[in-house]
Amino acid sequence: MSRQILPVADKAQVRAYARRLMVKYPKELSAALALHGLAALTGLAGPALLGGLVQSVADGAHDVRVDTIALAIAGFVIAQGILTRFAVYASSRLGEKVLAELRQEFVDRVLALPLSTVERAGSGDLITRTSRDVDSLSRTVRHAVPEILIALVTGVFMIGALVIVGPLMVLPSLLAVPLLWISTRWYLNRSGPAYLREGAAYANLTEGLAQTVEGARTVEALGLAGRRRDRTDDDIRESYAAERYSLSLRTVWFPSVEMGYVIPVVATLFLGGLFYLEGWVTLFQVTAGTLYIQQLVDPLDRLLSWIDELQVGSASMARLLGVANVPDDRVPSEATPDGDAIRAEDVRYAYREGHDVLHGIDLDVRPGERLAMVGPSGAGKSTLGRLLAGIHGPRTGSVTVGGASLVELPLAELRGQVALVTQEHHVFKGTLRDNVLIGRPEADDDAVKRALEAVDAWEWAEKLGLDAEVGSGGTALSPAQAQQLALARLVLADPHTLVLDEATSLIDPRQARHLERSLAAVLDGRTVIAIAHRLYTAHDADRVAVVEDGRISELGSHEELVMAGGPYAALWESWRR
Amino acid sequence: MARDQGLPMWLGITYAILWWTTQALIPAVIGFGVDAVIDKDAGELARWSAVLFGLGAVQALTGVLRHRCAVYTWISSAYTTVQLTSRQATRLGATLPKRLSTGEVVSVGNSDIAHIGNAMDIILRGAGALVAVVVVTVIMLSSSMPLGLLVLIGVPLMALVISPLLRPLHRRQHAHRDLQGDLATRAGDIVAGLRVLRGIGGEQVFADRYRAESQRTRAAGVRVASVESLLEGAQVLLPGLLIACVTWLGARFALAGDLSAGELVSFYGYAVFLIAPLRTLTEAADKLTKGVVAAKRVVRILSLEPEITGGDAQARHGDLRDEESGVVVREGVVTALAAATPEEASAIADRLGRYSDGRVTLAGVPLADLSVEAVRGHILVADNAAALFAGPLREELDVRGHGDVEAAVYAACAEDIVEALPEGLDTHVAEAGREFSGGQQQRLRLARALTADPEILILVEPTSAVDAHTEARIAERLAKARAGRATLVVTTSPLVLDRADHVFYVEDGRTAAEGTHRELLTASTAYRATVTRGEDR
Repeated sequence: MSRQILPVADKAQVRAYARRLMVKYPKELSAALALHGLAALTGLAGPALLGGLVQSVADGAHDVRVDTIALAIAGFVIAQGILTRFAVYASSRLGEKVLAELRQEFVDRVLALPLSTVERAGSGDLITRTSRDVDSLSRTVRHAVPEILIALVTGVFMIGALVIVGPLMVLPSLLAVPLLWISTRWYLNRSGPAYLREGAAYANLTEGLAQTVEGARTVEALGLAGRRRDRTDDDIRESYAAERYSLSLRTVWFPSVEMGYVIPVVATLFLGGLFYLEGWVTLFQVTAGTLYIQQLVDPLDRLLSWIDELQVGSASMARLLGVANVPDDRVPSEATPDGDAIRAEDVRYAYREGHDVLHGIDLDVRPGERLAMVGPSGAGKSTLGRLLAGIHGPRTGSVTVGGASLVELPLAELRGQVALVTQEHHVFKGTLRDNVLIGRPEADDDAVKRALEAVDAWEWAEKLGLDAEVGSGGTALSPAQAQQLALARLVLADPHTLVLDEATSLIDPRQARHLERSLAAVLDGRTVIAIAHRLYTAHDADRVAVVEDGRISELGSHEELVMAGGPYAALWESWRR
Repeated sequence: MARDQGLPMWLGITYAILWWTTQALIPAVIGFGVDAVIDKDAGELARWSAVLFGLGAVQALTGVLRHRCAVYTWISSAYTTVQLTSRQATRLGATLPKRLSTGEVVSVGNSDIAHIGNAMDIILRGAGALVAVVVVTVIMLSSSMPLGLLVLIGVPLMALVISPLLRPLHRRQHAHRDLQGDLATRAGDIVAGLRVLRGIGGEQVFADRYRAESQRTRAAGVRVASVESLLEGAQVLLPGLLIACVTWLGARFALAGDLSAGELVSFYGYAVFLIAPLRTLTEAADKLTKGVVAAKRVVRILSLEPEITGGDAQARHGDLRDEESGVVVREGVVTALAAATPEEASAIADRLGRYSDGRVTLAGVPLADLSVEAVRGHILVADNAAALFAGPLREELDVRGHGDVEAAVYAACAEDIVEALPEGLDTHVAEAGREFSGGQQQRLRLARALTADPEILILVEPTSAVDAHTEARIAERLAKARAGRATLVVTTSPLVLDRADHVFYVEDGRTAAEGTHRELLTASTAYRATVTRGEDR
């Protein structure tokens, strides 16, 4: 499959980012760590006290203060319980804070994605990143990171306790270190790519499901049910293969690690016992040592199992950060526009290398004019429209507003200059008002009303009410209504230049013409570049540019072009017939 | 669903039981070892150490086998859910968008399957944990009745004490999950509308809106954490107190000589060990609840029925007639339908294609008496909302697998689109035909409908997004491509109407005039006003 998927960040990037996150809230982090440390410390008392008891019992002592020792154990347990509560709360709160920032930054990155990339990658990949990867990262931040920190703190304290109990008791456990080290290294080297593959396969699966769901009516109409089922089955097969592979890695790693836990306990008991027989250590040291080693399994296991999760999380993180790796298609410069005139000079553009779709276009758009672009489908009108709106930068040549290159303007500045509305429409989840306000968030209801009136939408909008919930889960709007909304946003945004790419194509032809005229009245004085297939748009415009084969073949007023008797005149005739 | 996965489930449960049981036995063995040390019996110590190692090895082996079974049940339940949802979507067809939002169904793919999988997984581990608790209890009772009883009563008591915390936890988790769901929907909405946002510049508004919702979700998460941390604390505190009691009683018995020092260590070990299966059981309650909620949502989707049902009659050749409007689609000709409003036109097309109920007959037989499959096979309604799917272009155009793609591409004037693709018809196209412009998508949809070559083809505004030049060519080629078949074109384009053999003009849902385009132009002023695109206001 040659389908392009959005880039994924590399290891170094993920590490650097994680490091930055760790130290971002030093106070909260150290408070949480200190609490967890104290909790771990109180947890160490049990084995030591028990070891002492065992020693006394074995010695046959009768003056053992059992009650006091039991009370002491209870006291430490209570302290541990309370400390754990606050430690968990502190680390969760920090986790939530970091997590919120992570997802917000991700959405910011998505919102900064260059358009051409979004369209190519397919929404499935991005949707999976916004849902599954954010979820999986949540798990990492909420659980894996704190668990690993707790495990590290607890483990270090426990080893410390072991050393204090008897340095000799540390030696037997070292037997397990090579096994743990080698198997974990082996596993971690392979698991990263394995989890990435798993994620990609899963993305495919959900994308397929989303397509089936979104196109359900089409599936029924064309009898595609069988084919969609096959696609699901194929995707499942691929995902299954990926899951199997990562499972095979774990099948090797898990038992190795578990053996790594058993060996120290056995070795401590056996060798510790022999040491005792030799008189090198006391019974207290053997008992407490064995119990510590046995309890050390828990933090160690937490550590290793969450390292696994950390890998899953870092794979997700790589996918979330990867979004920012899409090379930006605009580099803001210092240039500021002087005037409103849009000008294209020797513009060439290619979607694929070596296949220019625009071949050296020169165009001066006069401020305040209505310029219509007509021409056969696929001639490059939409591409030119996007270049004139500063969405894409030209391969060669320049597109400027008031002398400043459009793609070198900061985005906010660009939007104040020129805006594009295409026939691609989307009704956002929210109220009708919200949907219009996208154009100018601070506008009041009067302005919203005027904008809707300008696009002939007030009649139905008033019936529905500005507070009506629309979009996914709300009232469904027709494509024509969605297009009117898109235009209303533009009216509200009020840039000096508007590029309308088939912006009324889904509206009934007669309504469309009425709409265009009322829109023209509102947009008086604004520059309008209208790409249209309906020739009356051209007829109503000040000038007409005929685009054919990536070139402007004719440019002039409707009358001039009809008089000239060129391709436009022929088109006009065929259409008028 | 559990039944479908009988074997891995039962195997998994068996492994889980073995796994937990070996863990449960370890404290006892350590106790024997400590006794051997106290008795200064090196041989005995070596023996118990060997047993301990053996138990560890069994634990390692059963652990990974258990994990494998768990993963198999997890993924197979997840895949089954996706498969069922996808099949249900294809079964519901046109009914689906009317009854469910896309997000609702896709959330199945994104989170519900995980919950269902987790529930299946926890059944495995939970069963093992339960058995482990029983094994430990039996061992303890047999070595010391009072101590055994203490643990036996203590452990369920702990569970009981913890349970009041679970309800507020679940409530807060629920609220948190809802917010997370909303947040995910918002993010999905942003992704879906990204092109629009980038076009008009509403990014900041949406970033802010997302930020606000994200912060609300964070606050809800912290509220969950406050209960969760209480639970965590309780899970340390309560077993800890039990351990203290066990140690206290055990030490007294040991001093009295009723218990060996090794057994005291064992009892301490049991009490510590029991924390883990107890946690698993708490986890099981939680995950099973979530699994049930997720399964309910899936079941709700699965229980939906298609709105349109039919009889079992097969389709016969003949005219397709809509009684209500009087529109007739005749065999062998291109009929056109021009309506005063687009809503009327699409209502008629929906009735003719049996996407809604209506008094429609095919060769005199009511459409409602035919099986839905027969209707879909015989009549194809192609509208502009139709989805284009990802895949090799040729396959995506030739949906019925035996059409003449090249001829259809020519008829739809889509040759230039195919030529521009790197591998022509074999190019893999992205989802929803996103790399194509609106006009290109429309022509590809038309090519697909023509390739399908149904007996009756109903095209709704097939040329609304193409330029006049192309429109004229399509109108001409369409008639040739559909020669001998029945075709209805819903349009107000004079170029297309002029090429039709017969034109119906519909106003207020009824045929107001019919004839050829030229006849109607002179006979009906309303018709002229509709189709001449307001030229003569």
